[in-house]
Amino acid sequence: MLPSITFDSDKNIIKFGESLVSFHCHHYNCGLLRAIEEIPGIDGHGIITETAAEEFFTAFKKILTHEAKPVPLDKAIEGASDLYRLMGFGRLDFSELTAQGGIAYADSSYYAMSWLAKYGRRDTAVCYFTCGFIAGILGVIFDAGPHTYEVKETRCLMLHHDRCEFVVSKRA
Amino acid sequence: MAIDDKKIIELASSLPLASNEKGIMAAFGVYVVMNYNEFYYKLTSKIINMVDDKEAQAVEQKLYDAVLACGYHTFHGARTSMHWRDLILPLIKTPEDEVYALVAFTNIFGIGYIEVEELIPGKKLVTTVTNAYDPGRYLEEYGPQPRGRCYMFNACTASYMDLVYAPKYPDGMGTFVSKEVTCRSMGHSTCKFVAERA
Repeated sequence: MLPSITFDSDKNIIKFGESLVSFHCHHYNCGLLRAIEEIPGIDGHGIITETAAEEFFTAFKKILTHEAKPVPLDKAIEGASDLYRLMGFGRLDFSELTAQGGIAYADSSYYAMSWLAKYGRRDTAVCYFTCGFIAGILGVIFDAGPHTYEVKETRCLMLHHDRCEFVVSKRA
Repeated sequence: MAIDDKKIIELASSLPLASNEKGIMAAFGVYVVMNYNEFYYKLTSKIINMVDDKEAQAVEQKLYDAVLACGYHTFHGARTSMHWRDLILPLIKTPEDEVYALVAFTNIFGIGYIEVEELIPGKKLVTTVTNAYDPGRYLEEYGPQPRGRCYMFNACTASYMDLVYAPKYPDGMGTFVSKEVTCRSMGHSTCKFVAERA
């Protein structure tokens, strides 16, 4: 289901299907997260989550639209997990989610592992990007919008839990 | 220029850069993700346009610092890798060759094409980029910008000099400072970066 990745070596442009993508290391991604967290007076976590939701809503919708036939729910969920894993964000299990919400799990987290490698342990969860990813993907799969679902990380590998847990609910 | 940058790109882009079964991509001593350019643009542009100019400049400095660490550690990991030693190191004869090789190596990550315009050994590096993603998007959404918006290329330009002409890794980061002197987001035709000793 996932589109192919093509590299234009004359322009240093990478296309993932129709969309431009690039590779970035944990020093940048964690530095960006920390920079946003340190800005006073804004909801940095909310902005990260919202932006990821909007971007992955758009991107995953394009991916599903390019399939010749409508994609069954289980295949769409599998495709979303594959997308998350392919992009290097970790391993995510959406299988218990329904149109009403539920709980998603991650037994591997790029942000938790990267933050530990760069800054060491912290006492708050760190997977805000993943909350947005889940919200955006579910918005596509259940034919809603990018802001239909609220996702909160209630357990995190950063906090010594054995996996990250994301509680998903439908906004009123 | 003794270094064949196209050859470097060809060799470097043959590297197996893929996530494992747990969805983790490790390369050159760093953890890597592939993400949409539009995500990074939207995130940083939203933030910068949400705060006052003083806070925006502080955020821009933090973004520069994050990229500097990214470039410094990633490029060092690359140049000490077996792949580099086997394939690219034989092409490098001088410190200046190494600068050109590192710049060329940058051109496999999908961020736009960076080239050396001028190199004064140990003193100054000027690089240019004509197809960075963010400047065009800033112009589209926000109009001309008061300062350059290419944090990625700006800090990378300093990191090349830090790695080649500053005290040995890991003590040289920040020896050079880069400034974006022209940017397409400001209405210029090219984004240009000048790194000199701090």
